[in-house]
Amino acid sequence: MPTATSRLYAVGGDRRLRRRKLVNRLMEIAAMTSALLAVAILAIVVISVLQHGIGALSLDFFTRSPQPFGVAGGGLANAFVGSLMLVAVATAMALPVGVGVAIFVTEFASRRVAGPIRLALDVLNGLPSIVLGIFLFTLVVAAHGQSGLAASTALAIVMLPLVARSTQEVLLLAPASLREAGLALGAARWRTIIGIILPTSLGGILTGTTLAVARAAGETAPLLFTSSLLASNDISANPRHPLFSVPLAIFELSESPEPADHAKAWAASFVLISFILVTSLAARAALGRSRRKLGRVG
Amino acid sequence: MRISFQEELDTLQSTLLEEGQLVLRALRGAINALEQRDPELADEVIAFDDEVDRQYFAIQEGIQSLLARQTPVAVDLRLVLAMLHTNLHLERTADYCVTIAKLTKLVYDISPDPKLVEAFEEMASRGEEMIRVALDSFAKRDLAVAETLVDLDESIDLANRRVVQHILALGSNPALREWGLRMIIVSRCLERIGDHAVDIGEQTAYLVTGEFREFTDASHPGSPAS
Amino acid sequence: MTGVTPIEVAQAREPRAAHPNREVVFQVRDLAALYGTSPAVRGVTFDIYRNMVTAIIGPSGCGKSTFIRCLNRMNDLVPGARVEGEILHHGQNLYGDGIDPVQVRRWIGMVFQRPNPFPKSIYDNVAWGLKVHGLKDDLDGRVERALQSAALWDEVKDRLRGNALGLSGGQQQRLCIARAIAVEPEVILMDEPASALDPIATTRIEDLMHELKNQYTIVIVTHNMQQAARVADMTAFFSLEVDPDGQRTGVLIEYDETPKIFTQPSDKRTEDYVTGRFG
Repeated sequence: MPTATSRLYAVGGDRRLRRRKLVNRLMEIAAMTSALLAVAILAIVVISVLQHGIGALSLDFFTRSPQPFGVAGGGLANAFVGSLMLVAVATAMALPVGVGVAIFVTEFASRRVAGPIRLALDVLNGLPSIVLGIFLFTLVVAAHGQSGLAASTALAIVMLPLVARSTQEVLLLAPASLREAGLALGAARWRTIIGIILPTSLGGILTGTTLAVARAAGETAPLLFTSSLLASNDISANPRHPLFSVPLAIFELSESPEPADHAKAWAASFVLISFILVTSLAARAALGRSRRKLGRVG
Repeated sequence: MRISFQEELDTLQSTLLEEGQLVLRALRGAINALEQRDPELADEVIAFDDEVDRQYFAIQEGIQSLLARQTPVAVDLRLVLAMLHTNLHLERTADYCVTIAKLTKLVYDISPDPKLVEAFEEMASRGEEMIRVALDSFAKRDLAVAETLVDLDESIDLANRRVVQHILALGSNPALREWGLRMIIVSRCLERIGDHAVDIGEQTAYLVTGEFREFTDASHPGSPAS
Repeated sequence: MTGVTPIEVAQAREPRAAHPNREVVFQVRDLAALYGTSPAVRGVTFDIYRNMVTAIIGPSGCGKSTFIRCLNRMNDLVPGARVEGEILHHGQNLYGDGIDPVQVRRWIGMVFQRPNPFPKSIYDNVAWGLKVHGLKDDLDGRVERALQSAALWDEVKDRLRGNALGLSGGQQQRLCIARAIAVEPEVILMDEPASALDPIATTRIEDLMHELKNQYTIVIVTHNMQQAARVADMTAFFSLEVDPDGQRTGVLIEYDETPKIFTQPSDKRTEDYVTGRFG
């Protein structure tokens, strides 16, 4: 209890207070430095990639196929088209399965079953993509040769845990009261999930898919095993044959003796980074919007 | 808002005013029986009191239920309490009518003093008027009208005193003396009916102003009403 | 002399019968609801009547919500929940073999404590249930009638396509009521429907119940016994019984017409509760 002689709040000259303040300040500075370091690394990478690659960026770069070795000019149109196709097919495979798994885990599975499934998804998420490449090589490529389809399958497996995890998170965000409301109207479980819960979760599903797409676009290892032996440099989008892809292009061009090819590799890297940046921003925006829509309940 | 509550209040009020109509009929019947020296009519008046009692109990129960369930406050609470008291006054008035009828039955075969009968008719008319005015002021929440009851009551009180004087001077005929004795009570009943009408007027004043006060104080006669 | 102009003098006023229409909608027979092995309520036996508001009151934890959720089998959603005894709805046991809970909820709707409209437009909130049950003819008309019955139409008729979550709490709750009555159930259960609302919104909901009971049978749980006194025709008082092992279970203490419960209850425990001397 404060008495006439002691005070509740020490002012100024207390030694312990000064030391506390100093420690606070130091911690603040240390944390700020770490943050700056992280941002700086990204900045350095982006700037150096831009520096090296900006020379090769042109309209031709996006619209023309590569020229034969030794001939100047040409672009990476076949890589862009190929990547687009590979990722699109992979998304078409991963999205329904990922959403389905998430629905099962959050709506139907008992706690005993849900736990192991979640664990499996986490492990799948951490699986090195090169392992997936070898797996698909042994399963499909060894017997039937390379194809875009095999590559897409590998990418879909990479995407699956991401889609499932995001979907699951946003499904859990939907309050139980919504499910109750649907059921209390005499609607069956599946009707309630499809009619009410899923529509409110679309934002989150989109987010997860976007992040998964960003990841898949940059995966290289599986492509080496499943979609690297190309017949020609023509622009192709037929998944039954191996398709060229941007990561593969970066890999091959960087090993070329031609300096012009190196510049193209940097440029392709820059395009890839930009793509990831844009999709990340889009994903955050979509998630923010869906959080706001649900958050105004009650 | 609170539709069912309002409906209940309205129903109680209309029941109360119906009871008032029944009481007026009882009063008119009792006086007619007295004037016409009609014991059968007197019996009807006595039997009719059951109807008034039914209304009385219905209102009592209704008020009890309303207080328990709707927790009225402010003007609603004052209305309910005013109705509670008015209900009581009306029931007492009806009882006085029964008393008059019973007394009529006792002395119907005695020839009355016509002047006195005339006086009673006047008192009864005044009483009827007062009940009507009181109920009207209640229904309309009209304080000014309620306050006129004081003067009306004055005249009944004066008439009562004159009647008593007259009866005391009736003479020594035993039959007439018995008649006279009974008629003093009748006169008293009519005077009390006037008082109950004033009480109902005071309930109107309470309802409108929220103050508990009497228009005149019996223990301080002559003091101003406001 | 002014003649009396009473508010309403009917010469022959028929006495208002206490409850002229006593058709039974639910017969609850020795109902017990358990979570695992411990019963939340047990031994509940009483009848619920058509076109009346029946209120369930009692101290917290006495199983009121558990009980009302048994009436439309919403309790099934809780893992480990079990029911013993019977609830007969027009003679059929709701918990009998082969009874589909989804069908049960078709005829016995529910409004919850916190308003829970779907994150859709106002129109779609009401229309969704109609579409689920194939009541698609004259959809616009049905939506409008439901919103009218819920005393919400005038406030939203110009913004039916607006987001339901933009409405105030009281409006959202009326929307939930509209949603429930759109599919024309027989019974509407309300689990503390006004406890999350301000007093004016509460009064509106209470007035609404008074209107709705002409067409539906309403059962409400409320922790506010004055509310029960105002709106209910019949009141059921639940309380906790502690058995020798210290286990607390909810039981039905008294069930009677509301005026009786609040003027002269038969059981002392009821009287202690409504007078506020215990609870």
